[in-house]
Amino acid sequence: MRIYTASSQETLRARKLLTDWAGEGFITKAQYERLEQDTVSELRTTNIFLRLVLFVFTLICIGAATALFFRVFLSQPSEQTSGIFLLIFAVVCYAAAEVAVSQGRLYHFGIEEALVVCAVGFFCAGMQAAFFTFSFYSPKPNLAQFMVPAAGGVFSLWIWRRFGYSYAFLAAMVFALFLPRYWTSSHAAQHVIVAMFYAAGLICVAAVRPRHTFDYLADAYLLVEAFLWLGIYLAVNLQLSSLNLRAQWLGIGTTAASEFARPFYWTTWVLIWVLPLVALARGIRQKDRFVIAVGAIVAVLTFVSNKPYLGWPRHTWDPMLLGILLTGVALIIRRWLARGPDGIRRGFTAARLSGRDKQWMNAGSAVLGLVAPQSITPSPQTTSTDFRFGGGASGGGGASGDF
Amino acid sequence: MYDEETHGPNQVTGFGAATDPLSLENEDFMIILAHLEQWREQGAISPEQYSLLANLSRREPISLFLGLNVLLYAGVLAFVAGLGWTVTTWSKQMGDVLVLAILSTILAACFWYCFSRAPAWSLAETVAPTAVFDYVLYLGSLVWCIELAYLESRFHVLSGQWDLYLLATAVLFFFLAYRFDNRFVLSLALSSLAGWFGLKISHWPSHQDAVYRQCALLYCLLVGVGGAILQRRGLKPHFFGTYLNIVANVLFWALLSGVFNQEGYGVWFLALVLACGTSLAWGLKRRQFAFVAYAAIYGYVGVSSILIRGINDETAVLSYFVITAIAMLVALVLIARRFGRAA
Repeated sequence: MRIYTASSQETLRARKLLTDWAGEGFITKAQYERLEQDTVSELRTTNIFLRLVLFVFTLICIGAATALFFRVFLSQPSEQTSGIFLLIFAVVCYAAAEVAVSQGRLYHFGIEEALVVCAVGFFCAGMQAAFFTFSFYSPKPNLAQFMVPAAGGVFSLWIWRRFGYSYAFLAAMVFALFLPRYWTSSHAAQHVIVAMFYAAGLICVAAVRPRHTFDYLADAYLLVEAFLWLGIYLAVNLQLSSLNLRAQWLGIGTTAASEFARPFYWTTWVLIWVLPLVALARGIRQKDRFVIAVGAIVAVLTFVSNKPYLGWPRHTWDPMLLGILLTGVALIIRRWLARGPDGIRRGFTAARLSGRDKQWMNAGSAVLGLVAPQSITPSPQTTSTDFRFGGGASGGGGASGDF
Repeated sequence: MYDEETHGPNQVTGFGAATDPLSLENEDFMIILAHLEQWREQGAISPEQYSLLANLSRREPISLFLGLNVLLYAGVLAFVAGLGWTVTTWSKQMGDVLVLAILSTILAACFWYCFSRAPAWSLAETVAPTAVFDYVLYLGSLVWCIELAYLESRFHVLSGQWDLYLLATAVLFFFLAYRFDNRFVLSLALSSLAGWFGLKISHWPSHQDAVYRQCALLYCLLVGVGGAILQRRGLKPHFFGTYLNIVANVLFWALLSGVFNQEGYGVWFLALVLACGTSLAWGLKRRQFAFVAYAAIYGYVGVSSILIRGINDETAVLSYFVITAIAMLVALVLIARRFGRAA
């Protein structure tokens, strides 16, 4: 089912591990150069920057070629005709991606990724145009139209399975979001259905994962499980799902309480406290740092959305308390781990073990140091004629802000 | 093609732990373990290295380094955001003395912590003495910004001359960045310097006038030359990458804004082509492919804006994009095949 052989992916993984270890100094440069020769793969890979650029130009090329085709060969086509041609383009794009991998031996090269992304896009747009009228956001959608996001989701899952792109799984999760609106008008039911979809996915992934604890698929499954935990949480958290968090943060929005039945609303409130704990416990038990990271993220989101949930007013010092909490937790964990034998406790360490982590830290500190000050100071909660404190609008960490 | 059946047992025993039989069978398929064994027998790695690397490839132990650092960073940001928000909202009720006392206390505590624990200064890259050191310095730097802004807004010490504040802040941040080897603060310094030049990055799309462009070019010149001199002198040479990336992006935006002009864009276009060529050559020579990406993207946008300017025929425009995108793909694939394998 997978387009890449297991041995070639294991070889690539071995090569990546070697690079990590060399970056962290676990092997010398001379050793790296010697060992690297034993991990040569027949697949063509490239670095992240060229991958992104190749992806962008492939998208431009396909988009322009498709538009040109419609412009030259079809003057004012009907929706059905356009849809049929889009479906043909989807097939062509998918076939091209298969050929690019099987003949060109491309692996995460950007080109074949853009081709499959276009294939999914054309497929959904083609189905919509060929079989349904364009009323995707109408209040009363055609019930059969659920086939469009369903087919998009299934196609995305297929691409995730065949090509191994984690973002294809994410796309399938997004498609799943659109399904319930065709089946029920109840917002509560829609939330439940989406959460059930993700929970079913989580059960499947959890069942399959043990077969791949150490092989090249381990990271893929870890990431997918983390996505699913995050998806379940976001589906359950009604304050975040209402997409009005900023207004609620600033105290100018309304809570979602009135939109839902009280039992449902308070059940979700309990769940947003329980889910982070479950995810963290699962991540720690499985030694899965992606799930631990998601557990931490959703825990923070729970703190952020708790007051809107309860209808309590926000205070300006809430972020300070959150900051102190986050810093305190990080320090306590770090200290606890460092006090273990060799700095290790229960299979975890606070030490850096990968050259990639060092690269992320270097790049992240430079970029975040540059952009973060512009976005950390929110607008005042209450305005005063004497005191206006904007900030961080133009670098300098807010020093150029005006009061 | 990969066959699931040849790749592992099909039994499912629930949530797997690192030591369950399924996982141990799973290890048989780890090429890296076979390689490590082979390399140890060949003497390419020592037995100690073998032991360490074999454990690492089995994810033993798991490193929480990155996650804990993100948590610390998020904590500092949230704290400073709350501090700024609180001062903004409640400064009248709290009074100047209390506000300044709180801010000054935090500032003094942060800088005392950093100066008292910093290792001896070195030209080369130095490791932070404690896990929180970099974040304490970052916190102090951000609090400095809040305090400075508060002082000026309340007491008008420099009569609203924000550019002088920005310059002073930039100088202080450069000093702190080089003293404590901190990229966070270096970025703040470069950002403050950009502010001093009147460079409002967040407002770029709507302010494409000549003054901004000139300021941007001057900024690029100063930062680029300054960074190069410091690197040549061996003064924290690992900072050079940060300088170059910021300079490249500011320069390309400035040049593109000139190219988008309706008149007098010829010079800017030539400058853009020159900058793209330099960026491409630098990226290929130094294997820094971000610069290859800059050259490709910024160059394509600039050249396209010139070539399709005034063309109203949709077919011609679409044909242009098809042909040029294919040409770019061919060129980039050649580059990727020859140079860009390593991540």
